[in-house]
Amino acid sequence: MTDRRRHKVATVEDFEEDGDRVIEDVEGLEIAVFRVDGDYHGLANFCPHQSGPLCEGKLMGAISGIDGWRLEYDEDDLNIACPWHSWRFDIETGANLETDRYAVPTYDVEVEDGDVYVLR
Amino acid sequence: MARATGAEATSVEQLDIVVDSDAHVMEGIDDIEPYIDDRYGAVRKIVDAAKRPLADIYSVTHAMPPFPFAENMHGKEGEEDSKIGGEYAPDEKLSEMREFGIDYGVLDPTLNLGLPTVENPQMAVALANAYNSWILDEYTDDAEEFTATILAATQRPAEAAEEIDRRADEDDFVGVQIPSTGVLPPLGDPVYDPIYEAAEDNDLPVVMHGGNLATSHAFPTQRRWNETYTENHVITHPFGHMWHATTMLVRGVPERFPDLDFVFQESGVAWVPYLVWRLDDHYLELPHEFHIDDLPSRYVEDQFYFTTQPLGHTAENPTHLARAIEMAGADSIMYASDLPHTDFDPPEELFGRVSREFDGAAVRGMMGETAVDVFDLPV
Repeated sequence: MTDRRRHKVATVEDFEEDGDRVIEDVEGLEIAVFRVDGDYHGLANFCPHQSGPLCEGKLMGAISGIDGWRLEYDEDDLNIACPWHSWRFDIETGANLETDRYAVPTYDVEVEDGDVYVLR
Repeated sequence: MARATGAEATSVEQLDIVVDSDAHVMEGIDDIEPYIDDRYGAVRKIVDAAKRPLADIYSVTHAMPPFPFAENMHGKEGEEDSKIGGEYAPDEKLSEMREFGIDYGVLDPTLNLGLPTVENPQMAVALANAYNSWILDEYTDDAEEFTATILAATQRPAEAAEEIDRRADEDDFVGVQIPSTGVLPPLGDPVYDPIYEAAEDNDLPVVMHGGNLATSHAFPTQRRWNETYTENHVITHPFGHMWHATTMLVRGVPERFPDLDFVFQESGVAWVPYLVWRLDDHYLELPHEFHIDDLPSRYVEDQFYFTTQPLGHTAENPTHLARAIEMAGADSIMYASDLPHTDFDPPEELFGRVSREFDGAAVRGMMGETAVDVFDLPV
């Protein structure tokens, strides 16, 4: 992907704490950048289900059933839930948590001199 | 017996094998009472003394008499319908199968589809045990065309599991029968795991058959306000299966028992794609509620089977049934007659709708070969 270009979308000051995000238009596509454990992850603000604004949803760990009646919470399995229908996607890989049929494009993020860039 | 032709069959007679995956017997309480084991001697005394067994052992009520004008559904004139049917001996069952070109029948009960209405748990356990002894003695021991399923009393899952373990070595038992209408809590609850574990350990599929005898227990509100047998019957079978299947998939039964097959009887096939679409949709939107690791449709495809009767009135557009079967998954569909019940389907009712719509292997599978695999029939 040598033809990617850097696009400044934010400064590090725009992220006060882990879990914060910014969403910016990059060449006609809305891309969200999330800060998690000090790292930055870029994800298209687009849900492949019904074109909802995926990255405006809740960011949280994964709740799942384990034995037919008890539920467990895995805070490390961080995902974004689309605000329209709650489809869940891994913010690092873009993969849908439930099926490999669906995924969301991810974008590399670079930080230089306090500025945050998306590569697209 | 039908013959192999090497080419695709154009009639039921040309099929190698036709299996009826829902072949009823018409047991009466008087038939099975002598088979109540000595362990349950008190129960035998009480059953023997019961004047109204359908009301005082079972709790069976209807809004209107079921099929009052069908001759094959009732006892002798002047007698109470303790059999929920007339005389229907093994030789009559066999000749009926031969008349319709059916090679093998997986037998299941009629009266004991109402087993979930037996409120007393020891009575339920004793009656299930007695039915299992009776069906071996009266049917399967004398005719290779008959196989049967082990009747399980869900009122006491641990005892049902013991019964399955005790009976499983008998080759004539090819599955575990759960009369599913009126089973509470629903079959997705882990309380039934001992039954599923015993079935899986013994390599027997779990077979679920709904029944209008227990509508009062499954759907008390509907039973109260339905004014006809039809209003109960149309809804009870598919609603019951939809509820049980939904709870089983949400609560992860097929995930916990990956080597277990599940057979849903007597609701036809067209409800399956509708339910699966809804379940997959909910899995993607509310995944935190599910105790499975993949789309519900994947488990349905791998582990669920559906028997065909009642197909319903499919004549308006003869191709619609084939489309419904394709959506449900042709590999998951098994022919069933429901004989001798009044809403039975002869083999031609299915064959005529699918023989030109599917390839020969798929048709042979639906008509019998899939059942041979699922029930591991001794053919």
